[in-house]
Amino acid sequence: MLKRTSVVKNMKVINLGLSSILEIGDSYSIKPRSKVWALQRQFELFYGDEGHFRDPVFTRPLPKPDFDEPVHFVRYNESPTIKVNNIFVTAVAVSSVLHVGSTQLIDSESRVKHIRQLLHGQKDNDE
Amino acid sequence: MNFTVVNKNISVDNVRVTDVASSAIFLVGDAETISLSSAFDTPPESLIIGPFVPLARA
Repeated sequence: MLKRTSVVKNMKVINLGLSSILEIGDSYSIKPRSKVWALQRQFELFYGDEGHFRDPVFTRPLPKPDFDEPVHFVRYNESPTIKVNNIFVTAVAVSSVLHVGSTQLIDSESRVKHIRQLLHGQKDNDE
Repeated sequence: MNFTVVNKNISVDNVRVTDVASSAIFLVGDAETISLSSAFDTPPESLIIGPFVPLARA
């Protein structure tokens, strides 16, 4: 099979963080993983040793589709290139991939627990 | 199952993305298999209103 070549003339990325990948060129397998325990307080007060990754959101296996389905895949690449003139990305984060080129497998997982702590408010509104 | 794809000419001028996050991909190219999972937990008890006591520690 004739492989396609990706041609990008100009690319600008501002921020790349938290288990993210910017890959230029071909790759075989990319498997990013990230666990985030986020705490927002109404004003800045952080003890530095809070939080743990024992919650179910970090431990439970994530459901995934089966890849062993018998599919007879035929591809005709009539044009050998994928052309993009200009790419602008502000941010890539939390197990995300920005890839220019071809790949075999991308398997990405992100797990986030987000907690907000407010000082004032009506307690009877929730629960 | 038979699946046939014919890739003809593709030429894009301009792409502007604000954010690629939480197991997302932006791909200029071909891929055989893509599997993206994301779990986000913010249950009712994750909104705490009251004094700023430290949360569970490791």
